Amino acid sequence: MKKYILLLWICLLSVGLVHAQENITVQGTVTDAESGQPLIGAGVAVKGSTAGTQTDATGNFTISAPSNGTLVVDYLGYERTETPINGQTTLDIKLGTSAQQLEQVVVVGYGVQEARDVTGSIVSVEGEELVKQASQNPVSSLQGKVAGVTITNSGAPGASPQIRIRGAGSALGDTDPLYVVDGTFVDNLSFLNPADIASIEILKDASSAAIYGVRAANGVVLVTTKRGEAGKSTVNYNGFVGVQRVTNQLEMTNTQQYATMINEKTGSQTVDTSLPSTNWYDQVLRTAMIHNHQVSASGGSEKITYSASVGYLNQEGIIEGNEYERITARLQTDFQVSDAIKVGYNGIFYNYNSIDVPGDIFYQAFVAPPVIPVFKEGQRYGDSFDYNLGNFANPQASLDWYDQKSSGQQMTGNVFGELKFLENFTFRTSLGLNYSINEYRNYRSEDSLTSVQFASRSQLTKSRSKGSSWLWENTLNYDKTFGDHEVSALLGISSQEDKSELVAGSANDVAFESEANLYLSLGDPETYNIINSGDRFTFASYFGRVNYTYLDRYLLTATLRYDASSKFPREDRWEYFPSIGLGWRVTEESFMQDQTIFDNLKIRASWGKLGNDQIPTGIFILPVNSDPRLGYNYGGGFLPGRNLTETVPPTLLWEVVKETDLGAEMGFLNNRLSVVADWYNKVTEDAIFGFTPLGYFGLSGDILGNYASFRNRGFELAVNWADDVSTDISYNVGFNFSRNVNEVTAIETGNNVYYNGNLPVGGYQVSITRIGDPIGSFFGYEVEGIFQNEQEIESSPQPTANPGDFRFRDRNGDGVIDNNDRTIIGNPNPGFVYGINTGFRFKSFDLQLDIQGVADVDIYNGNRNVRYGNENYDLEYFENRWFGEGTSNTYPSANLNGRNLDPNDFYIESGDYIRIRNLQLGYNLPTDLVTKWKMQAFRVYINAQNPVTWFDYNGFSPEVGGAPVSQGIDRNVYPLSATYNFGVNVTF
Amino acid sequence: MKYIYYSLKRNSLILLSALAIGGLYSCSEDFLDVEREGVGVGEEFFTTQDHAIEAVTSIYGNLREWNNIAFAHLAITTITSDNAEKGSVPGDAGFLDNFDNLTITATEGQLNGYWNGQYQGINLANQVLSNVPLIGMDETLKARLLAEAKFFRAYHYFNLVRTFGGVPLRLSVPLPGEQEPIDQLSLARASKEEVYNQIIQDLTDAAAVLPVSYDAANKARVTKGAALGMLAKVQMYQENWAEVLSLTSQVMGMGYALTPNYYDIFRISGENNSESIFEIQAQTVPGNCAASNSQWAEVQGVRGQFGWGFVEPTEDLVNAYEEGDERLDATILFRGEVTPEGEKIIETAPNPRYNQKAYVPGFVTNECGYAKDQNIRILRYAEVLLMHAEAANKLGQTEEALSALNMVRERAGLEPIESATQEELREIIWHERRVELALENGDRFYDLVRQGRAAEVLKALGKNFMEGKNELFPIPQQQIDISGGTLEQNPGY
Repeated sequence: MKKYILLLWICLLSVGLVHAQENITVQGTVTDAESGQPLIGAGVAVKGSTAGTQTDATGNFTISAPSNGTLVVDYLGYERTETPINGQTTLDIKLGTSAQQLEQVVVVGYGVQEARDVTGSIVSVEGEELVKQASQNPVSSLQGKVAGVTITNSGAPGASPQIRIRGAGSALGDTDPLYVVDGTFVDNLSFLNPADIASIEILKDASSAAIYGVRAANGVVLVTTKRGEAGKSTVNYNGFVGVQRVTNQLEMTNTQQYATMINEKTGSQTVDTSLPSTNWYDQVLRTAMIHNHQVSASGGSEKITYSASVGYLNQEGIIEGNEYERITARLQTDFQVSDAIKVGYNGIFYNYNSIDVPGDIFYQAFVAPPVIPVFKEGQRYGDSFDYNLGNFANPQASLDWYDQKSSGQQMTGNVFGELKFLENFTFRTSLGLNYSINEYRNYRSEDSLTSVQFASRSQLTKSRSKGSSWLWENTLNYDKTFGDHEVSALLGISSQEDKSELVAGSANDVAFESEANLYLSLGDPETYNIINSGDRFTFASYFGRVNYTYLDRYLLTATLRYDASSKFPREDRWEYFPSIGLGWRVTEESFMQDQTIFDNLKIRASWGKLGNDQIPTGIFILPVNSDPRLGYNYGGGFLPGRNLTETVPPTLLWEVVKETDLGAEMGFLNNRLSVVADWYNKVTEDAIFGFTPLGYFGLSGDILGNYASFRNRGFELAVNWADDVSTDISYNVGFNFSRNVNEVTAIETGNNVYYNGNLPVGGYQVSITRIGDPIGSFFGYEVEGIFQNEQEIESSPQPTANPGDFRFRDRNGDGVIDNNDRTIIGNPNPGFVYGINTGFRFKSFDLQLDIQGVADVDIYNGNRNVRYGNENYDLEYFENRWFGEGTSNTYPSANLNGRNLDPNDFYIESGDYIRIRNLQLGYNLPTDLVTKWKMQAFRVYINAQNPVTWFDYNGFSPEVGGAPVSQGIDRNVYPLSATYNFGVNVTF
Repeated sequence: MKYIYYSLKRNSLILLSALAIGGLYSCSEDFLDVEREGVGVGEEFFTTQDHAIEAVTSIYGNLREWNNIAFAHLAITTITSDNAEKGSVPGDAGFLDNFDNLTITATEGQLNGYWNGQYQGINLANQVLSNVPLIGMDETLKARLLAEAKFFRAYHYFNLVRTFGGVPLRLSVPLPGEQEPIDQLSLARASKEEVYNQIIQDLTDAAAVLPVSYDAANKARVTKGAALGMLAKVQMYQENWAEVLSLTSQVMGMGYALTPNYYDIFRISGENNSESIFEIQAQTVPGNCAASNSQWAEVQGVRGQFGWGFVEPTEDLVNAYEEGDERLDATILFRGEVTPEGEKIIETAPNPRYNQKAYVPGFVTNECGYAKDQNIRILRYAEVLLMHAEAANKLGQTEEALSALNMVRERAGLEPIESATQEELREIIWHERRVELALENGDRFYDLVRQGRAAEVLKALGKNFMEGKNELFPIPQQQIDISGGTLEQNPGY
């Protein structure tokens, strides 16, 4: 893949074609300079022209070239060589191996660049890395692989993880980066089969991302899918089958323990301690199957290359009944119409079907008292009413009653045409299209399962949402080398439109005899209800970039974008986004030639300004509220009510990110050791920020505007060691680490403080965003201990407390515990994120071990804090609770009520964790055997993903996530599970 | 091939022009002027008569909101009083215990909900009052719609002033930012008197315009009677007794009549009857559960049979009824009893008593939840009579007082009071007010405070009522926080 791209770019970037010369046919072979082995699929190109080919299975090539031209040969992992033809018709070219680090080609915005010429902070991850994991979401597979990238995974099949590049730089929910798949902008990557990916490039700093100015403030993730290669036809099957199990299952109290707590709380025998016990997690969880198959084929000739694949994934969720099935298909073809013209397309199709479970099932299983049996006599569900404990859904009844199926299709495609002219120019036009449909049908039968789970009429709901977008981009490239000066320039324009629409309807009394009966039109017309909403926005941009290299060691990249987005009012919608990157390849200097320490040393610095328009559409346009709840019946039928309940911000400007990055790339010990270090300072100005208006305005929701500034400052380090000890043994060890410090530097709303992180009980707000502290910090009381007796209470500032309640710290010492005593009690922004990725190969065996972790992060245990009444308790709580003088000075009594529910640091816990992310052992069958079977390779492997996670947090999973202003509050997430599988990978 | 190549070279200028044309397309401002999809444009609202009508409807619709009539409302007005306890089962919605015990703190979420709910109603009214006058439409209708909006602005401020004392007096709509910089948005609390003056002004204005009655399709709108009756109540809280007497007299001349059977008032068949002066309409809108959102009765319904079982009538309330008072059975639903509709209240219900005024028989649809069809009675004729009696007694018009009082008593199957001293009669009227209006629209706590005996009555029941503190509820801490301290807390919190 890389070879191909490189080849293409040699075509694009090379200069100096002498088109007046007569062409001759040159034949030759390309071999490894050391071993003499032929190199298959090496790129052979005529310098300065578009002509190019690849070596065949025996390393031979044939190319038509000017007799005085130069052939450029490239092969991944080898030095690029230029060989003058000098009229020869036969050429044998030997390639020497290179230090891989330096010769890597990375995909950058609107092009590719050799890694050594890059002046920004870009991390490239090979597709192979992704395929080595059971995870079926490409973003999820990046966890622990890239310094500076924090990924929060969810265990729900088909779910997209949360990704943050260099901290939370935007306050409003969406901190996702821009995803660009083969030139098409998409919102997430869940439609992509990881096996279809050639590489993922993460553009971390402003200089590299700035070319995507319009949506690049959260970073850019460039995905390049596999493309066919001329002369190299392969068919590959890759498949695995495995099981998934939940790990770190949270232990809850059993009936005896639960009843003890409730009875302590109520001071009477409310619950019989001898009743049977239900472990609701055991009841709803299961060991789930997963299997995945993919067949791909690629190949082609000089004129046409293709790549195609079909994949199938079937994944059960760890919750009973949850199932996800995915089909992916991809077809890509490039046509070299003539020396000057190339056209191609790429189409990715994605289809999923899912059997869903209630979104709050983990919450239900957490809170459901263990005294409730799954079933009681008469085959009825156990009912919380029988125990007078409050309203609790029976989680099993919820699962059984819930009947929702969802499905969706997505087509993502790209068509391009490329024309080379006037020797150094390339014009490219590219049209990216994205079309998706997501739908579900939900049937709630008429039933009475328990006293809180019933419906007197059945209800069918159908929902269909459609999204479509197009992106048309035209670029003009100019490449030329003048002596020691290499110049590459790009000019482009881009326009985009995004549309989406949701149509949903419901009706009562549709009889469910079969799936074929589930039509709204078969329901009671009086009960028809329709929801219809939509969104549309457009962008337009001009952009340009200049890459300039002098003496192969002084590097400059400068970009400028002029962007407009329909999300901003007309007068403020156009904005300039410049960036500049400088690089110095110190090892190229003559004074470095005698030193032996560095094989490579590059120092780079960049600065850029980016824009973020990931904000809701049209917030500067005042809407009319037509909520059905505003309607009324005066006696003549129900009439709709409408009114104005919002306001619009005074002005609305682009949210702007200014980022400085200083980096160094080093190679030591024959480039076996490579080190990349980056320091960055990312400042978000005019951040779009919600501001809670005072209640007396009577508005619904927050007012959005450019009200805040944030700073993310940090350091990233990636160290890799790779060594081929002998032909039989090789290994590599990689370590990456990042540190990020987030701080709110300004809030321009009235009182400079923004509360969020609402807990549904009591209206408490846990999170605060204020100047000088990290965004979304936890805010509340400090607990000094637990009141042991009445005497302690009498002499305290909490006269109405009960023994067993939290004793809060009177921070200002005024003898009253009030809101002035609240302070920052935790930080949900991860301080350290790290990963260790290792690989060992011994003869035909290979072993991969990846470890990943997060440190210096807090979680707010909302599961413990949100109590309406008699919810179940976790076992840790039971064992440590206060139940009489001297029993505990850290855990309160079972009576979590009143001020005990005020946000405080008892609920703050460390979210640090370390996880064995992936462990894989593979075996390649011997070559002679494989050849006998007419195959190229046959590998079998066993894999364990997430087998072990270590953490102290008293919850199911320390991966909580959330929008920046309310992140890290655990309200029962769908936890990640461990997957154990066995797979084969066969190439024909 | 070569020919193409060279012709392309010649045509490169054309290519560049194509690029430029694309550019023109891109930069077209029209391409970037995108409307907000699927919502009405606020700038174009309040331009037609229909808009004016819809906007007024939204004020009514908002009355059913959770914050305005469910937990927050019941907690503040009723669970705090001697009429009811929290109810349900121990621990369930334990935060309501703080209302039961009067140990409320400023962070208690119900307070913020109630505050926001009332002000949302005020904003809807302010929107009408600011914008409708500019609409070219039927002037008579316009005047009436404005009067309706004034009624509700007063209604919500009355709820606020009774609960929190003086509150920020916001009488205009929030303007889009340029007219109102966000750092100048902090309005301090007005005095209690200023708030009451505004309420009186609005109700007086409304009463002058509102019709005495409407056609059937509009019968649930506020009337002149509602405005006068509400004004009488406001004046009663201000102890302007002559005003109360005169206002109630006016209402008494408007054709309202007591329902012969007290129990019938609170059934669906008794909605909007001749005793009703104003009630909040609640109904199941088939297929539209979002609009069928009244939970006033659901949260009070018999737990395990109909609803959630909150607001458990106290034994003290049971004992308050005189022997033979028909209202006891109509007001309190006892565990195990059989209702006049023939429905047995389950023996396994966790609470001994429930609010029968929130009782809706099981045969009424519950497709959007229990008892979405139960209207909430805000003001009825019996209360006007009792206000009249209280005012008359204050002014020494004993006969007038007795006459009004006895109409209410006799309907309840009780003997009329023949004579009493002014002091005795005051107590009798207060008592009558309690048993007539118990568990209905949440006046009891405010009545006790108004009558100056909240401490005496509530302390006797073991509640933590502190004089000088608990007469008012704390200003929600969230509001104080947002205001940056401009809003001052009530004493004692």
